[in-house]
Order: sequence, then structure tokens, then C-alpha cells
Amino acid sequence: MELAATVLENIVLAGDSAHISDKLFGQLVTCACQGIVFEENRNVVGDNPAFKDVDKAILKAVYGGLVSLIVEAAKHDSNEQNISTILEECKFTSDRINEFNKIFLSQKPHLQLLLGKISSSFPHIVDVDWRLDYYIKNNNLEKIDSAVYLVNLKTEIPDEKELQDVQFSCTLEQLQDLVGKLKDATKCMEKIAQV
Amino acid sequence: MEEVDRIIIHSLRSIGCDLEDDVQSLRQFGTEIIIASVVQCLKVIIGDIDLPSTLPPGMSARFRLGASLANNVQDLGYKGGDLGYQTFLYSNETEIRKIFMFLVEKLPKESSQAADEPMGASVLLLRAISTELSHQLSLAWSPPFLKDRGIRIRSKAPGWQREGACCLQHYRSCHISTPHSLGNISTKIPKELSSYYKTHMPFVTNQTQLHRDTAPSIMETNALEIATQQDWENEWNQIGLASRLSQQEFKRRKQERLLKMIKDRLQQDSQRQDRGEGHAASSDLQQILNTIETQSKAGVIKTKGSRFAHTEKLQYAKDEEKTMSQVGLAVPAKDTEEELEKKRQEEIEGLRSELLNLTAQLEKLDIEVKKFSANRQQMEEVISTEAKNSEEKNASYLVKKRTLDLLPEAEANIGKLQSVVDTSAQRLLNLAKQWETHRIPLIEQYRELRQLNSKRESEAQKKLEEIKLFRVKMKETADDARRKDELQKQLVSEYERMTKDVNRSAYTRKILEIVANIKKQKQEIDKILLDTKSVQKEINSLSGKLDRTFTVTDELIFKDAKKDEAVKKAYRFLAALHENFEQLIQTVEDTGVVMREIKDLEEQIEVESNKKVLSNLEKITEDLQQMKKENATLIAKVKGK
Repeated sequence: MELAATVLENIVLAGDSAHISDKLFGQLVTCACQGIVFEENRNVVGDNPAFKDVDKAILKAVYGGLVSLIVEAAKHDSNEQNISTILEECKFTSDRINEFNKIFLSQKPHLQLLLGKISSSFPHIVDVDWRLDYYIKNNNLEKIDSAVYLVNLKTEIPDEKELQDVQFSCTLEQLQDLVGKLKDATKCMEKIAQV
Repeated sequence: MEEVDRIIIHSLRSIGCDLEDDVQSLRQFGTEIIIASVVQCLKVIIGDIDLPSTLPPGMSARFRLGASLANNVQDLGYKGGDLGYQTFLYSNETEIRKIFMFLVEKLPKESSQAADEPMGASVLLLRAISTELSHQLSLAWSPPFLKDRGIRIRSKAPGWQREGACCLQHYRSCHISTPHSLGNISTKIPKELSSYYKTHMPFVTNQTQLHRDTAPSIMETNALEIATQQDWENEWNQIGLASRLSQQEFKRRKQERLLKMIKDRLQQDSQRQDRGEGHAASSDLQQILNTIETQSKAGVIKTKGSRFAHTEKLQYAKDEEKTMSQVGLAVPAKDTEEELEKKRQEEIEGLRSELLNLTAQLEKLDIEVKKFSANRQQMEEVISTEAKNSEEKNASYLVKKRTLDLLPEAEANIGKLQSVVDTSAQRLLNLAKQWETHRIPLIEQYRELRQLNSKRESEAQKKLEEIKLFRVKMKETADDARRKDELQKQLVSEYERMTKDVNRSAYTRKILEIVANIKKQKQEIDKILLDTKSVQKEINSLSGKLDRTFTVTDELIFKDAKKDEAVKKAYRFLAALHENFEQLIQTVEDTGVVMREIKDLEEQIEVESNKKVLSNLEKITEDLQQMKKENATLIAKVKGK
């Protein structure tokens, strides 16, 4: 995990008891976690009367540093040890390190859920409707007699609430080909899982 | 032997041989399994080898397969007796065990390889991915309406997993700023900036328009700063240090260089364009060039402001026009159109004549102004030449006045002047001497200083190089440390994986037991050896004693034998006794030898019976029969054709 120089500087400020008292530190970390996760809490530090006496510029800097640290640590799935080494380098006392770890590790699943949401994806198939039609004849040909499958895939698309339909028709051979491809894909996944 | 068999079977299973679970020793191996296992081993050891892993049905094909297996094993360096197709096809336990021991030893060792070459982070990542995937694959499918916003609860590690794409969001980031260099007291923050920090700047989580973009923006900002820092460090290490400038100076120069480069490029392009197109474009470019120049000189963006002012002016002007026209419209138009036309014509003519008058006047005035300015210049020149003249004349007048003053007492004055000249010459000489005396040490000092300077410079150069070296070393050690950290992590994870394998500790325990056993046996062997040695010694001493006593008695009796007949008889008996005993000893020794031979033979019988000769022979005869049949059918086929 790498952190930028300004972020580290701000974290050092957070560890300085001259700026942030021990009592406020825990609250600040909790606020930082909640500010990232919940939209209604995005300005929670500004609204909290507990932080009235702290210099606003320092408070903003410290908050920014902690938020960056929390996001990066959640991104890298850092454990207690990794965080402790970073905070020790930032001259944190062991009490504060423990407090940070306690709050952060309890919030880590939520943070990772949030970060896991940030992604792009192909449409994700969740369901399928199908129909088998029998094509008897048309105006040009008296006798055709072939089977036609109408397939309607239900897919989930990023940033869309509703399921989207993907419709196509195919002959038996094409459908078999599709099924073969799907089997190949499944095998591929299993192979990767076996390593 | 059981232990060895278990190890062999375990390693055969680990390389992917298909062995039944209840196979415990090599005795249970049939020809089929032996062939398959050997082929698998060879495939793992040699890599690309073209052998069928199942026993072919035809006898001749079997024979060929066995022969090629034997060849391959011998190519690997097997030295345990003669090896042929019969070893594999008509196996006996001991030989097969030997071959498998050899092959298992030859197997490439995975664990040692893993310890030698460090696995990259990518390998670890791949492993993590595969374990996660196998977790996910082991779960049954569940419909999307059972998941809360695409999240499925599970029992394993993180407690949840994301499925589907319905709640994903794209990675969008925007600029985020935090107050910086607050902790550093040495850098002063401007008042405006600090007041902005205090009152107006929003908190980081409140800066993006949409809250969900906060996390990407924070990550982006962090990554951007790290990347910039790294880039700068690289450049500073490579070019910056060698230039021996301070960082600010280096940055300033770089900026200048870049601006100049841009200017040159644009100039070149504009020249190229000039040939092709009109002047409009080039004049535009010229303007840009000028703006660049002013920027680089003053560092203040004036042009932007001026342009802004310009547009502003234009806008206002338009507005005024509009209001004017609106006012004009407001005046009621009562006159008829013809009158209006006339009025307008008159007005235009009047204005035109006025304009003409005015322009003529202007031209006249212009000409006059030009004339006057030309006159003024001429007059100024005249004044300056006159002033010079007067100065020269003043100087000459002064000199002449002096000489005239001196004229009345010419002789004395000349003498005085001479003395003045002499003294001044003397003084000059003195000064020159003094100068000389001052000059020499000064020059020396100068030289010394110059030398010192050059030395210092070379030292600085050296120090610079040292610094560079140190930087490289620093980087190397940092890299090393990082690599080792990673390696340690890997090894720890590897170790955690390994501990699941209980066999290992069991093996080591067994090995230790075996070693202890061997030690005990060795001690016993040593004891027995000592015993035999002592027995041998005793035998030797006894036989020596016997020899000596015999010779002594022999002599004694021999001496008396000449005198007495009875003694003679006794002597003969003695000789016979001696001979008989010798024979007895010989027989005892012979029985010992025979006993040993018997034991050897028994062992040999056991070995031979182990070799399953009978069953193998039966097999061979059967195979021979089959081969004959095959040959017969082949011949029949050939004949039939």
C-alpha cells in the first residue's frame, strides 16, 4: 500500500495529540468510515458539535488523510499488521493504533462492499425465457419444416435497476453451438479454480 | 520395506498416477499399473515423451513398449542390473521396487524449486483468485431476487460475495483537494488560502457531486500524487542531480525549455503555413507566440485578462447599440417617406462635405506637425553641436591662460615644472615597486585560491557521484527489502499450506526412527565384530600354544626315543594323536564352510522364489503361444492375399 506525501503528512497531523485529542480521535475515525460509506453522513464531521473547538483547517486536513488511509487500506485488504506499520511510521501511539484498528476492522466489510460496487461488467445473465416454434412454410416455399428457437435472456446491466432483455432466434445447430460454448466457458472457470 | 512402498505410492499418486485407494505395497502392483506408473514418471521427468499410458493388446506392441521403457530408464542413468522388457512385463517385486525408487528420486522436486525461485505477487494473486473462484463455484445458483442488491451471504471468509451486475457503478473520479503543508511550520500559508481552508473548503467526502464517486476520486488523487512523485524522483535522479542545480532552479529551467520548445515548434509550423496560406492564420499564430513570450517573461497571464476585457467591451458596445436603436424606434415617425428621404439626402450631403472639410484640415495639420517636428530635430542637433564647440573652446582658453601666466619667469618656472615632473616620475616608480610587492603575494594567493577552487569542484564532483551511488544503493536495498518481505509473506503462506500435509512430520519421525535403528544395528555389528576378533585371537594363541607344546614334547620324546623302546612307541602315538586332532580341526572348519554355503544357498532360493519364476514362466509361455498365434494369423493373412 502506497500513500502520497500529503496524505502521510495529514495522517501525521491526526496522530498529534496537540491537534486532535485522544477522545476525539476515535470519533473522527468512526466519522471518516461513515462519511465514506453512507451518503447521508458525507458532511458528518462538519455537523458534529464535538469538533467545534478544533481548528477547521486542521480538521479538514486530518479528515482527508484518514479518509484516504481508510479507502486505500480497504482496497488492499490490509490487516492489523500492515496498518500498524504505516501508523507507526506516522508516529502514532500504540493506543491510537489499536483504536484505529478496532474501528477500521469492524467497518472493513462495509467499505469493501462499497468498493466492490465500483466496476464495469458485461451484461450478466440471470434468467432465460424460451420458445420452440415450428416453421412450416412461407410465400416462396411450400415446405420448410424447420425448428426455430426463440430465446430471451434476462440480463443485469450496471447502473440499471431493471432487467434488460436480449432476444434472438436460432436454429437447433446454433443453439447447440451456444450450449457447447457455454460448457467450454464453465470448464475454463473450473480449470482456473483448480490451480 | 513397507515404509519405502508407502513413500513410493504416495509420490506416484502426487504426480497423477491413477492408483486404487487400497493399494498399500508394491506387491499389489500388476503389470498394467506398473507400466502406467512408469510411463507417468517418465513423462514428468523427461517432459515430452511419446508413450501410451495403457498396455496395448497386441503382444508384439507390449514387447516394444517394454523395451522402450527399459531404454528410457537406462538413459536416465539407472544402474541396477540388467534391464529389459522382461523387467516390466514379467515383474518381480524387488526389481520393480528398485526401479521405482530410482524414478522417484529422479522426479523434479517441487518444494525445493518453490524455495529457490520466489513466486511473484501475481502467482499469489492467481492463487487467491482460484481459491475464491472455487468457493464461488461450490455454491449453488440462486435467483437474483434472493440477493440484497447483488450481495449474497455465505459462510466462508469475508461473509459475503457479489453476484450479478445490477448494482455496479462505473469508475468515475473528479478532482479532490485537501489542505496541505499545515503540519509544517516552516512553510507559510497565505492568509487567503488559510481562510479558504477554514471557512469555505468542503470536507473530502463532501466534494464530489455524487457521493458514490467519493471513493474513486480519493483513490485517483492518491495514485496521481504518487505517480507524479515517482516520475519527478526518477527525473531528478537521472538528470537533475548531474546538472548541479537546486530543485527550484531545475524546475524553472525545465519550464523555460518547454516554453521555448513549444514556441519553436509553433514558429516552424507557422512558417510552413505561410507558404501555403494567407496571412490571417500566421498573424493569429504570431499573436499566440507573443502571448507565450509575455507569459514566459512576466509569468503573469496578461493576455487572458485583456482578451476577457476585449470581449467584455464588445458585449457592452453591442448592448449600447441595442439600447440606442430601441430609443430611436421609440421616436414616432410622423413625416412621410419622401420627406424623410430628402432630409436624409440633405443630411448625408451636409455630413459628407463636413467630413471632407475635416479630413482636408486634418491632412494639413498633419503635414504641419511633421514639418514642425522635423524643424525641432534640426534645431536640437544644431544646439548640441554648438554646445560641444563652446566646451572645446573653453578648454583651450584655460590651457592658454595658464601658459600665459607662466611666461614672465620662464626659467624658474621651467625648473619647477621639471622638478614636478621628476618627483611625479619618482613617485610613479615607487608606486610601481609598491604595486609589485603587493602584487606578487596577491597573485600567489589568487593561484592558490584557484587551485583550491578546482580541487573543491572535483571533490564536489566526487561527492555527487558518491551521492548517486548511494541513491542507487538505497534503491537497491529498498527493493531488496521489499522483495524479501514479499518472499517472506509467500513462504509464510506456503508454510501454512504445507502444514495441512501431515505426512511430512510422519516421514521425518520415521526417518529419525530408522536412523536410530541403523545406529543400534551398527553398534551390534561392531560388538559382534569385536567378539569374532577376540575369538580369532584366542584361536590363534591356542594354535600357537599347541604348536609350541607339540614341538617341545616332540623333541623331548625324540631324544628319549633312541634309548628306550617304550618311549619310541609313545612317540609314534603322539604323532598319530597330533595328526588325528589336525584332521578333527580340519573337519570342524569344513563344516563351518559348508554351513555358510548352505545359508547362502537358502538365501538364494528365497530370492529366486521371490522372483515368481514359475508364474512368470507360465506367463511367458502363454505370451509365446499368443505370439505364435498372432504370427500364424498374420501369415495366414499374407497368404490369403
